[in-house]
Amino acid sequence: MVTYIIRRLIGALLMLAIVSMVTFSIFFVVPRMAGATSEDFANRYLGKAATAEMAAVAAEKLGFNDPVPVQYGRWIKGVFAGAEYDTGASIEQCPAPCFGYSFVKRQPVWPELVDRIPVTLSLAVGASVIWLIGGVAVGVLSALKRGSFFDRAAMSVALAGVSLPIFFTGIVSLVVFSYGMGITAPGGAYTPFEENPAEWAYNLLLPWITLAFLYAASYARLTRAGMLETMGEDYIRTARAKGLPESTVISRHGLRAALTPIVTIFGLDLGLLLGGAVLTESTFSLKGIGDYAVQAIMTNDLPKIMGVTMVAALFVVVASLIVDLLYAVVDPRVRLG
Amino acid sequence: MTAPLDAPGKAAEAEPEAVVAGVSGKAIQGRSLGQIAWLRLKRDKVALAGAGVVVFLILVATFAPLIVGWFGHPPNEFHQEMIDPSTMTPKGGSGISGEFLFGVEPLNGRDLFSRVVYGARISLLIAFLATVLSVVIGTVMGVMAGYFGGWVDTVISRLMDIFLAFPLLVFAIALVGVLGQFEQQLGVQGDTLRILLLIFVIGFFNWPYIGRIIRGQTLSLREREFVDAARSLGARGPYILFREILPNLIAPILVYATLLIPTNVLFEAALSFLGVGIQAPTATWGGMLAQAVKFYTVPHFMFFPGMAIFITVLAFNLFGDGLRDALDPKSSR
Amino acid sequence: MKKGSALGLTAAGVVLTVGLAACGGGSSEGNKAGQTGGDKASAPAAQEAFNAGVDKVFNPSDAKGGTLKFAISEDWDSVDPGDTYYALSWNLVRIYGRSLVTYTPAPGAEGRKLSPDLAESLGESSDGGKTWTYKLRTGVKFEDGTPVTSKDVKYAVLRSMDKETFPNGPTYFNDWLDLPKDFKSVYKTPDVNTDSAIETPDDQTIVFHLKKAYAGFDNFAALPGTIPVPQAKDTGVKYREHVIATGPYKFEKVEAGKQYTLVRNEHWDQATDPVRKALPDRYEITLGVNADDLDNRIISGDLHVDLAGSGVQPAALGRVLSDPAMKARVDNPTGARTWYTSIIGDVPPLDNVDCRKAVIYAADRVGLQNAYGGEFAGGEIATGVMPPSIGGWKKLDLYPTGTGDAAKAKEALAACGKPEGFETTMAYRADRPKEKATAESLQQALAKVGIKLTLKGYPTSDYFTLYAGKPEFVKKNGIGLATNGWGADWNDGFGFMSQIVDSRTIRASGNYNLSVKDKEIDGLIDKAMLETDTASRDAIWGQIDQLVMERAYVLPSVWSKSVLVRPQGATNVFVTGAFDMYDYLGMGVQQ
Repeated sequence: MVTYIIRRLIGALLMLAIVSMVTFSIFFVVPRMAGATSEDFANRYLGKAATAEMAAVAAEKLGFNDPVPVQYGRWIKGVFAGAEYDTGASIEQCPAPCFGYSFVKRQPVWPELVDRIPVTLSLAVGASVIWLIGGVAVGVLSALKRGSFFDRAAMSVALAGVSLPIFFTGIVSLVVFSYGMGITAPGGAYTPFEENPAEWAYNLLLPWITLAFLYAASYARLTRAGMLETMGEDYIRTARAKGLPESTVISRHGLRAALTPIVTIFGLDLGLLLGGAVLTESTFSLKGIGDYAVQAIMTNDLPKIMGVTMVAALFVVVASLIVDLLYAVVDPRVRLG
Repeated sequence: MTAPLDAPGKAAEAEPEAVVAGVSGKAIQGRSLGQIAWLRLKRDKVALAGAGVVVFLILVATFAPLIVGWFGHPPNEFHQEMIDPSTMTPKGGSGISGEFLFGVEPLNGRDLFSRVVYGARISLLIAFLATVLSVVIGTVMGVMAGYFGGWVDTVISRLMDIFLAFPLLVFAIALVGVLGQFEQQLGVQGDTLRILLLIFVIGFFNWPYIGRIIRGQTLSLREREFVDAARSLGARGPYILFREILPNLIAPILVYATLLIPTNVLFEAALSFLGVGIQAPTATWGGMLAQAVKFYTVPHFMFFPGMAIFITVLAFNLFGDGLRDALDPKSSR
Repeated sequence: MKKGSALGLTAAGVVLTVGLAACGGGSSEGNKAGQTGGDKASAPAAQEAFNAGVDKVFNPSDAKGGTLKFAISEDWDSVDPGDTYYALSWNLVRIYGRSLVTYTPAPGAEGRKLSPDLAESLGESSDGGKTWTYKLRTGVKFEDGTPVTSKDVKYAVLRSMDKETFPNGPTYFNDWLDLPKDFKSVYKTPDVNTDSAIETPDDQTIVFHLKKAYAGFDNFAALPGTIPVPQAKDTGVKYREHVIATGPYKFEKVEAGKQYTLVRNEHWDQATDPVRKALPDRYEITLGVNADDLDNRIISGDLHVDLAGSGVQPAALGRVLSDPAMKARVDNPTGARTWYTSIIGDVPPLDNVDCRKAVIYAADRVGLQNAYGGEFAGGEIATGVMPPSIGGWKKLDLYPTGTGDAAKAKEALAACGKPEGFETTMAYRADRPKEKATAESLQQALAKVGIKLTLKGYPTSDYFTLYAGKPEFVKKNGIGLATNGWGADWNDGFGFMSQIVDSRTIRASGNYNLSVKDKEIDGLIDKAMLETDTASRDAIWGQIDQLVMERAYVLPSVWSKSVLVRPQGATNVFVTGAFDMYDYLGMGVQQ
C-alpha cells in the first residue's frame, strides 16, 4: 500500500513537471518560433512610453535573453524557494510558492490566485453537491422505474441538459430570473462565505443551479446506466434470493457498485472545475480562477498564465490522486502492484 | 467465430457484437449482426429523428448560399435602415418579418437568419474535421497501446493522463492565440487559418478520450479466441492488426465519433464565445452569443444562435445514443 | 491618451465580463422610481431634464455629509498619483491629492480652465517660457500633520519620472525637464543634484527649468505627478497601497482590485483650499462590478456614479433613451476624444493620396457612427481629427458625411490608377466590439467600390507595442488601415495632436501615430510650439488638422459622446469639460 501511494505521488509530481514544461514552452518558446524577440517579451512589462533601449534593458533584466532551460529553471526555483524582483525602486520579495511576478499589475501572482480560489471553490463545491445528489437520485429512480413516464421524462431532460452550452443557459437564466423576475442575484455578485453565509448562498444560487444542471444531466444518465447494469448481475439475484429487503439490495449492493465509476468521474470533474470553471465564471462575471486565466491570456501576462495553469493542473492531479487512493482503500480488487 | 478469416471482406459487418462490450453477447444464428443493429436502429424513433435533424443540418450547411439566397440576405450585409439610430437596437424590437425571418442584429442590422445558417457551416465543418483528427490520433495511439502493451502502453497511457490533466479550455484559448502568430510560416490567413487552428486544437485535445476506449477494446480483442485462432494459423502481427482487430474497432469508433461531434460543436462555440474562434465578420454561433450577451435586452439575438447550438448538439447526441444502443447488445434500453 | 485608456479599461474586459444584471431591474425598479418621485416633494426642487448636468450645475447645494458611492467594472492603472494615466483617475485623484494647479470644478468649458491649487497662483514664466516658478500656499499639510513643502513636490515629480517603477503615467516631465545626464531615478541615484531641472530655493517655492520654451506649462503643473509625496513615506510600487493624502479625503481602506474607501482628512484645511467644497463625508469605490449590473444599480439609485465615466453599456442604452422619464436623467456630453481609422501610407497603393481619399469617400460614415454606438452613445460624425472642444478647431467640410459616396470614390480610385479597386488589410483591437464593428462596416462599404479588406484582430494589450504601433510589423503584414482613437491630455492643440501627428515621435514600436508622416505637418508643429500668442497658435493647430484631412491620413469616425445616467440623491452634479465626465470633486450627497 505504501509503495503504491509513493508511486502514485511520484507519478503526480512528474505529471505536474511535464504540464509546467509544456505550458512554459507554449508561451516562451513557441512565440519565438513565430519571430518574437526578447524585446517583444519585455515590451509587455513596460509602459506605453518605452523606448527600444528600455526594452533591451528590461529584456536583459528579466532574463529573456537567457537560454530557455535557464529561464525555466529560474521559474521552478521561484516556485520552491521564492524569488526577488527589481521594481526599480526596490527589490520586491516574491515568497515561495512564487509562480511569478506580474509586471503588468506589479505584484506576485500567487496572492492574487489565493484571493480567487474561494470564489471558484464556492462555485464548484456548491454546484457539485447539487448535481451529485440530484443526478444520482434521478438516475437511481429512473433505473428502478425503467420505462416509466418519470424515466422517460427525466432522461429527456437529462439529454437536453447535456446538449446545452452553459454560456447559453447561464445568460438565459440571468435574463429570466435575475433581470426579469428579480428573484436571484445579478451577474458578478459574490459575498465571501465567512462574511455572510446566507448572502453567499443567495448570490451563488443561480450559477450553482446552472452549472449543476449541466453535470446532473450526465450523472443521471451514468447512474441510470450503471444501476441497470449492476441490478442485472448475479450477486444482486443472490442477495434477493437470500431474502434481503429490496431497499437493502438497492442501497447496499446495487447502488454501491454503480457508484464506483461515478466517484472516479466526480473526482476528475471536480478537479477540472476547481482549476477554473472558465465558461461559468465568465458568463456570471465571477472573479475566480477561470476568469483569471482568461484575463491573463487576453493581456498576455505570462507570469499570470504560468501560475494559473499550474494551479489548475494541480487541482486535476490532486483530485485524480485522491480518487485513485480512495479506490485502493475502498475497492480491494484494485491491484496495488 | 472464425468467420473474419474466411470472409475478410465482410469483417466489419460480421463482428459488431464483439466490439463495443468486448464480452460475448448472444449471437443470433443466421442473421448478420450488422443487420440486427440496423433493425434495432430502425425501431428507435428518437434516434432516427436525431439522424433526420443531423441530415437536415448538413444539408443546410452545404447549401447555405442557396438557402440564404432564397430566404435571406448576404450574411455580412449591413441593414442600417432596420436599426433605431439612437438606441442601436432593431426597430420594433427584433425586426422579425417575412423579410428577416429571425430578425436582425442590433447595431448593424445584419440578417440573423443568414448568419445562423452560415454559422452552421463553421460549426459543423470544425466539429467534423476535429472529430476525424481525434479519431485518427486516438485510434492509432489506442491500438498501439492496447496491442503492443508493455512500455508502449505505459508511455501512451501516461500521455493520455497528462492530456486529461490539462485545463483544456484555458490551454485551447492560449494555443489559438499563440499559434495565430504563425500566419507567415503557415502561409494561410483569415478564416482558413482560424478554421485549421481550431480543428487542430480541438481535435488534438480530444484524442485521449477516444484513445482510452480504443485501447480498452484492443486489449480485450487481443485476448479473444478468433485472434488466438488466427495466430495459431500462422497469421502475423500486421495481419492480425489490420484484418482482425481494426475491423472490429469500426463500430465503437463510429459510435464515439458520433458522440464526440456534439462535444466539439460545444467546444468550438465556447472558443468563439470567448473571442478566440473565427474572427469577424464571419458568423459563428458562439460569437453571436457573445455579442448577444451585451444586448441582452434584445432577447431574439441570443435565442436563435443558442437554439441552433442546442438543436445541433441534441440531434447528434440522440443519434449517437441510438447508434450505441443498436450496436451494443448489452445496452440497457 | 488618457481617455482612450479609460475606455479601454472597460473594453478590455468586455468580451469576458459578460454576465447580466438585475439588481433592482424589472418590477422592483418601477417601485424605486415611484419612491423617488415621492421623496422629491420634500427634496429641493431639481428639475430632471436631458442634459441638465451638461454646461450647468444640477441640484446645487452646499450641504455636507453622506456617502458617495462609486463603482467601476474593472480596475484602473493605479491610485498612485505618479503612476496613472486614466481620465477617471485624474478626476478622482483630486479628492485625495493636491497638484500645483488643477482644473476648476465647474461645468462645461469653464471646467477646462486652470485654478491654482497647491500653488498660490498659476505659474510665472521667465527666460522666455523656459523657467516656471510656483509659490506654495502655507498651511497645507499631509494627512499625518506634517506640512507640505516644495521639496515634497519636487520629489513627487522626479519620482514619477522613473518609468521603470511607474510605467503608466505620462512622460511630459521626462521629455521637457532639463535633467543632468547622470540622473537615473530618485531611487537609483538619490544623491545626484537635480537643480538644473527643479529648484526649491525655499520651502514654499518651486522652480522648473525646461529644455525648450513651452507656454502651456501650467497644464504640466496640473498633472497628478505634481501632487506632493513625502520621501520618508515613499514605498515605491507599494505607495499605491497607502497614498499620503493632501486633499480633503484620505484612504481608509485599500483593497486592490476590490474596494477603496476614503474618509475625511482632518489635516486638510478649507482655508488653504479655495477649489474644493468637500461635501460628502465619505467615498466608497467598488471595483470589478459587472458592467450591466452597475448600470442597473445607477438607474435604480443604488449607486451614484460609474467611475469610468464612459457611459452605459449597450443593453442599458435602449432602456434609458426610449423612456422619456429615464431620458430626463441622461447627460450626453461630447468628449475631447476622436475615434478614427489610420490610413497608413507606407503600404501601397495607399502611398497614393487618391487611393487614401477613395477610402474616405467610400466609407459609410453613418455606419461608422453606429459602430461606435450611434448619435448618443457613439458621437457626432467627425469631419476632422481634432474634436470641437480643442482651441483652434474649425469645422472642415472636405468629404461627404453620408452613407458613402461611391461615385467620388471611383473617381479617386481612377486618379490613383486603381479603377478596379485594390486589396489591403485592416487591423483592429479584437477585444473592442466597437472597433470590430468599425472594421466590419468599412469592409462592407469599401467592397462596394472594389476595395477588398482583410480584417485582422489583435489583442488590445499588444496592439501598439507589437502590432499596429510597430512600423516593421505593419509593413511586413501589409496593414493599410488600423482602428485608433485619441483623447486629449488637456484641451489645446498640443495636448491633443502632438502624439498623433508628429512623425518625429515615431519609434520602433509603441506608436500611436500610425499614419501621419508628413514633413510639412512636422514643420507646422514646430511653428506652433514657438508661437506665444494663443490665438495664432490655435490657428496653426487648426491648419494641421486640415492638412491631415486633405492628405487623407486619417478617416475620422466620431467625436465621442457618452450616455451618462445622472445619479439620484447627489448634489452639485455636472459634467466637467476637463474630463467630459461628472466632476468627482464637486459632487455631494442630498441631505
